[in-house]
Amino acid sequence: MRFVFKTSYEQDINLFRHGGDRFWYGLLLLALAAAPLLLDTFYLGELSFILIYAIAATGLMLLVGYTGLVSLGHAAFLGIGAYANAYFISQGMPFLVSFPLAGLITAAAGLLIGVPTLRMSGIYLAIATLAFAYIVEQVFIRWESVTGGFRGLPVDAPDIFGYQLWERWEFYYLCLVVLVAVILGVANLLRSPTGRAFVAIRDSEISAQSMGINLARYKAMAFALSAFITGLAGALYGHHISYLAPDAFDIRLSIILLLMVVVGGVGSLHGAVYGAIFAGALPQVIAILRDYLPPAISQTPGLEPALFGVILVFFILFEPFGIYGRWLKIKLYFQMFPLYKKATFKRQKSYLKTERLR
Amino acid sequence: MSLLSVENLAIHFGGIKAVDQVSFAVEAGEVFTIIGPNGAGKTTIFNLISRIYDPTEGRLIFDGVDFTTMPAHRIAGLGIARTFQNIELFEHATVLQNLLVGRQPHARVNLLSEILFLPSVRRAEIAHREKVEEIIDLLDLQAYREQMIANLPYGVRKVVEMARALCTEPKLLLLDEPSSGLNVEETQDMSYWIEDIKRRLGVTVLMVEHDMGLVSSVSDRVLALNYGRVLAQGSPEEVQRNPDVIKAYLGGEE
Amino acid sequence: MNGIAVGCIYGLIALGFVLIYKATEMVNFAQGDLMMLGAFVAYTLISGLGLPYWLGLAGAVIIMAVFGYLLDAVLLRPVIGQPQFAIVMLTIGLGFILRAAAGFIWGHDPLSFETPFTGKVVNAGGVVIATENLAIIFGTVLLCAILYAFFRFTRLGVAMQASSQNQLAAYYMGIPVKRIFSMIWALSAGVAAVAGILLAPKFLIDPNMGFLGIKAFAAAVLGGFGSIPGALLGGLVIGVIEQIAGVYGPPGSHETAAYLALLLVLVLKPGGIFAQIGRKKV
Repeated sequence: MRFVFKTSYEQDINLFRHGGDRFWYGLLLLALAAAPLLLDTFYLGELSFILIYAIAATGLMLLVGYTGLVSLGHAAFLGIGAYANAYFISQGMPFLVSFPLAGLITAAAGLLIGVPTLRMSGIYLAIATLAFAYIVEQVFIRWESVTGGFRGLPVDAPDIFGYQLWERWEFYYLCLVVLVAVILGVANLLRSPTGRAFVAIRDSEISAQSMGINLARYKAMAFALSAFITGLAGALYGHHISYLAPDAFDIRLSIILLLMVVVGGVGSLHGAVYGAIFAGALPQVIAILRDYLPPAISQTPGLEPALFGVILVFFILFEPFGIYGRWLKIKLYFQMFPLYKKATFKRQKSYLKTERLR
Repeated sequence: MSLLSVENLAIHFGGIKAVDQVSFAVEAGEVFTIIGPNGAGKTTIFNLISRIYDPTEGRLIFDGVDFTTMPAHRIAGLGIARTFQNIELFEHATVLQNLLVGRQPHARVNLLSEILFLPSVRRAEIAHREKVEEIIDLLDLQAYREQMIANLPYGVRKVVEMARALCTEPKLLLLDEPSSGLNVEETQDMSYWIEDIKRRLGVTVLMVEHDMGLVSSVSDRVLALNYGRVLAQGSPEEVQRNPDVIKAYLGGEE
Repeated sequence: MNGIAVGCIYGLIALGFVLIYKATEMVNFAQGDLMMLGAFVAYTLISGLGLPYWLGLAGAVIIMAVFGYLLDAVLLRPVIGQPQFAIVMLTIGLGFILRAAAGFIWGHDPLSFETPFTGKVVNAGGVVIATENLAIIFGTVLLCAILYAFFRFTRLGVAMQASSQNQLAAYYMGIPVKRIFSMIWALSAGVAAVAGILLAPKFLIDPNMGFLGIKAFAAAVLGGFGSIPGALLGGLVIGVIEQIAGVYGPPGSHETAAYLALLLVLVLKPGGIFAQIGRKKV
């Protein structure tokens, strides 16, 4: 076990707690940077896809994992970002302008649903976001002059100062840069007063308020930021699939995004990334498994959602802290060996946790 | 002029008058305690002062400012901090993070500079941390700094909650039953801390308390409440001797 | 007429939500899928095994009730007391599994089965009404009467009400609260099965018909999420609004009317029409 001897407050503020952290994250970044040399085009594409998922999951994690606001409609934000970006590019706008603009428009949409729902909590918010997502999906279908309706909307390759990123590896680097920027930004935010305000709202609204936190303002901010990041992910997602159709952004995608948050581990940025890797890699694993399964099972179209469902149920029942929680437990087990006790992570159950006034 | 004056405060829930025409004034530098049987309206008064409830009638004045209609999140900035009867800490955060949230009224928030974590944000963070460390030293919380609240024993949580309130640098501290759930020894510690808060930080304390030992050892003045109305007010001894108060506690022929 | 009939179905699904929510504070996102499963079980009993309609209906309701009981006992009991988010995700996951399982067993092609009401009309004083609509409305009214009597006059019904209002007090009075919760799930699944069977002659049954359940949310919210008559009324309102919007509104309004109504209610009256959820007490 490593004991960090702290000699200044800076050490608690810094993103990396000690040299070891810096080394491992550096190595990871190096490996990701070298990936285009090692992987073929197909797997590089899949890896870009995971990076995009990770951006979206980070956005959703900020809202669900850190502010405690549940959104069942994040696919709508992904869609708004994708359509906005694609539309601007089709109008001849350069990517470097359309990309942040897509994020801003999505943030505005986030405020549009976030502000009226500020006073709602828990389940009402979840249902409201679900309804919002359905309405947005209908807008994608009906607003044909912008979205192309069911005919779809082709998305051009992104260009940077006139140079078009046609190659898979070029696009991969773009996704990597955006992901790293987003994660750093969110990590910075979380060690600042705003991030602490989010966590405070998540854990106890009433005492957050008595500590001087304006609930309405911070919740709206969380919604806007989360939507902004998800919108950026959506813009990249659009480039990745290169052809937008309304049914790409239905409730199933919202649930997959939430699945990443739950499976990865609610309330940690590591979790968002683990969740994205998981959700991004699962279809590949299924595709490989299909070859070994009897055709009666492998030909069933519902196999993928079924597996998602099973995994979701499994994690909530047996590992509510997600992959990241499991990783922490394993790490602690080896650090404390042979003194590890299971009760360290035991949660207190409250049988009468209630939102009602009695 | 009094630090806090409560004038003809009343709140009705449906037909029930939970607080009915209550007036009192808390002077700067004293420990003022509200006592009364269960359901007398003590916590309701706290919730009115922290603006969680809207009063039906009456005025609230703090340091010359009428805050009867001020939104709840601005009360901390005014200089009033509170604790809760059943502890409302941020469960899934460390003690340090909880205390830093207490610095919120003094934080100047600029989203962009926080996302970039500019040097100004870093400097502010360190300044907040230094302030928090002062409170940690005052209340002997050094050992728990990095611990998650969810893993702490009840007695420590009570102290952490008080520390969090103190981190807002309040002029008035509202303590809602500071000794509830504590054992004899912890209650004794609590009375020392309340003394410390009053003497060393110069913070005025308004508390609701049941433990008469604690009440008489720390309070300068006591207000007794029953059915939302004021029964008696004065020094702890006077109030304890008051026949109405004795009747309210022991029950009497009415 | 169509709107009212569809509204009744929404109301019945919403009623299932509300039953479970009132008692356990869980929101069952798989309620629509329970309805779907109920319809498929009835299909198997009636078209597959050749049972008469009424026998098949009763059988499907009983099978679904047992299924609901087991679902709660096995999957949901362990998560009591966990944050609501966990429960929401759990039931969503459950919905995915049920849908896939139904697709696996019955295939993804829409099916239909013969009922005594299919395709007939009744001429009531010059107004032509499809019997299937009448059956839905009549069935809903009958079911509500039965439920009312059940909650009012039977020991089990009263125990369920008590457990919904105050778990702890009910527990101290010797009511086996956990078992009662499972029974409520059974009841709710049974109601869902009835909804599915009543709906069957109107729509074809397929594994995705459970998505209808989301519109039933709108009904439940409209009715305040804690009131059984409210849920039914909310269902009717949503059904009728949807029908009107479909006829008079611009294209797409038929699909979105329910959700717009839902958002509007939530924004204007965040607690639903009969506010149930208040602020947490401190």
